[in-house]
Amino acid sequence: MKDINMQNPKISAKNVQVYYGDNHAIKDVNVEIADKTVTAFIGPSGCGKSTFLRCLNRMNDTIDICRVTGEIKIDDEDIYDAKVDPVQLRAKVGMVFQKPNPFPKSIYDNVAYGPKIHGLARNKAELDEIVEKALRKAALWNEAKDRLNSPGTGLSGGQQQRLCIARAIATAPEVLLMDEPCSALDPIATAQVEELIDELRQSYSVVIVTHSMQQAARVSQKTAFFHLGNLVEYDDTTKIFTNPDDPRTESYISGRIG
Amino acid sequence: MTHKSLLIADARTKKRNAAERRFKAYGLSAIVVAILALVMLLVSVFGTGASAFRQTYATVTVPLPEDKLDKSGVRDIEVMKKVTTIGYTKLLNEGFENVVIASGIPTGLSRKDIGGMLSKEAAATIRDHILANPDLVGTEATLDLLMNGRIDGYFKGRVTLESAALDSNTSPEELALAQALKDAGIIHTKFNWAFLTNPDASDQRPEAAGLGVAILGSLYMMIVVLVTSLPIAVAASIYLEEFAPKNRWTDLIEVNISNLAAVPSIVYGILGLAIFINFMELNQSSPLVGGLVLSLMTLPRIIIPARAALKSVPPSIRDAALGVGASKMQSVFHHVLPLAAPGILTGVIIGLGQALGETAPLLLIGMVAFVREYPAAYTPDAGLFGEASTALPVQVYNWTQRADPGFVERASGAIITLLIFLLVMNAVAIFLRRKFERRW
Repeated sequence: MKDINMQNPKISAKNVQVYYGDNHAIKDVNVEIADKTVTAFIGPSGCGKSTFLRCLNRMNDTIDICRVTGEIKIDDEDIYDAKVDPVQLRAKVGMVFQKPNPFPKSIYDNVAYGPKIHGLARNKAELDEIVEKALRKAALWNEAKDRLNSPGTGLSGGQQQRLCIARAIATAPEVLLMDEPCSALDPIATAQVEELIDELRQSYSVVIVTHSMQQAARVSQKTAFFHLGNLVEYDDTTKIFTNPDDPRTESYISGRIG
Repeated sequence: MTHKSLLIADARTKKRNAAERRFKAYGLSAIVVAILALVMLLVSVFGTGASAFRQTYATVTVPLPEDKLDKSGVRDIEVMKKVTTIGYTKLLNEGFENVVIASGIPTGLSRKDIGGMLSKEAAATIRDHILANPDLVGTEATLDLLMNGRIDGYFKGRVTLESAALDSNTSPEELALAQALKDAGIIHTKFNWAFLTNPDASDQRPEAAGLGVAILGSLYMMIVVLVTSLPIAVAASIYLEEFAPKNRWTDLIEVNISNLAAVPSIVYGILGLAIFINFMELNQSSPLVGGLVLSLMTLPRIIIPARAALKSVPPSIRDAALGVGASKMQSVFHHVLPLAAPGILTGVIIGLGQALGETAPLLLIGMVAFVREYPAAYTPDAGLFGEASTALPVQVYNWTQRADPGFVERASGAIITLLIFLLVMNAVAIFLRRKFERRW
């Protein structure tokens, strides 16, 4: 596999291994992810791309049998260091999940929750401002501004997912992880979220796991192809989809495996 | 291949449809049987017990001569207390005979027999009334007094002229007089508040027996159960469900909680006897011990539904909270617990309902005691929970063992009261569930 050596990578992973009990789910993955870029992880189901994504904000810690070794650095700090509190890490590395999962609270409270628990606002006015900014960035402000107090669960699927994105960016993260954010959405909502992801690139390093190769091609600048727990190929998106080095990558993007 | 019409069901389809119809019929008959059983239970309980809520009283004017009740004439309560109920019984007999004579109803009964138609409780009623109002001495007092259990039974259809002829406690003449007095408006039946407020009464006075002490005892025990088992059960289930590592020890604890919920309740009585009474030396028969024993019994029965309620909160909510950087505890207390609260609350109230109806463990710690007086326990200076009391289901058990047929009605009446309390608690559970249930 060709090594991409970046100047100042946002995230760099070295020799990462993940085990679920006896199952070796991620095998020796090395990758460097750039700031202010969209990086897509693609690969067939069960290839480990979501598992690897969840390593980046230590969401795997909540699974008892999961064990992670190796080194993952964000801004040159090892996030698996014993001194790191995963709670602080997750404020810096936001996450959007596959299924929209707003809290059963109002739209306002959904977005305000993160800033509140992290103490990002000193008063109500500041909190209002954070909420508005997050909703604007998530392209939900125009639809939601008149119903901030109605429940977030009452929104449509696409709106709910954008609400979840707003919730994630309200804590002012530097990295945004997205685990198949469009798989539960219809094509129109998907298009809106994709457009949003493209805009988010201005401010964040976005890592997105997707099953849709077209989506990876549309939104990402870098693409990593995972297969059976291995990182098979990692390169510029255009390169991966036009002229991949590895025959497995070519098989996958042409639909022969997966 | 031959053409098969969809309009004609083939043999296989017919067989399948017949099997489905049979199954529906079985299910329906099972429900019918269950409903019939319930109806029979209610009819039998209400048939015998509803009359406990009405009671026969006579309006009697009792003379209160000063020379009998307070010779000194200074109205010193301590001196007046020396006149026993026997002294009052004589005045009562005289007063009631006067009433009968004044009504003009002819009777061959002696003054003692006429007075005997009143409850033995009546003398105590009038004595308490005089001690509360000493100024009445020297005048006369008109009071509603309890008739005895036989007269009361006659108006409720339990005693007949035939059965009275064989009964040493009453006679057909007494019943005839009672009927005439009722027609004259001197004897009347009214709603029996005393049934809900009086303490228990001895074998000879079923008409005076009430549930007051039992209701208070049950109430105090429920308070003890709520205060001890709710926080312990909720804390235990949150810890086990959200924080505890999944290993052999937690598996063992889990299995044991399920087993404890199935342990016969009388075993908890033995445990309570050993720990709370023999070892900790708390007062036996007290609502404190009763409540603690019932708490032990209720704990696993709350932990199980509470854990189920926590488990039913979708994991995506936990992920969402952790994903924005909430700590484990924040995710539990801000998001998971509020969503699980209606389920936990329902479990708690159903657990309390079971505790309210539980009899066996209370028998072992002596709550079967006959409590004639309101215990000093129910005055704040005696520590409230520490003195001998009884409880609703135990009172039912107690009354079903008494000889006088008047207690059958009382026992059924107590069951009705217990059922009403349970219904109210379940209604509250449903109401809270509806009110706090949130959809996601």
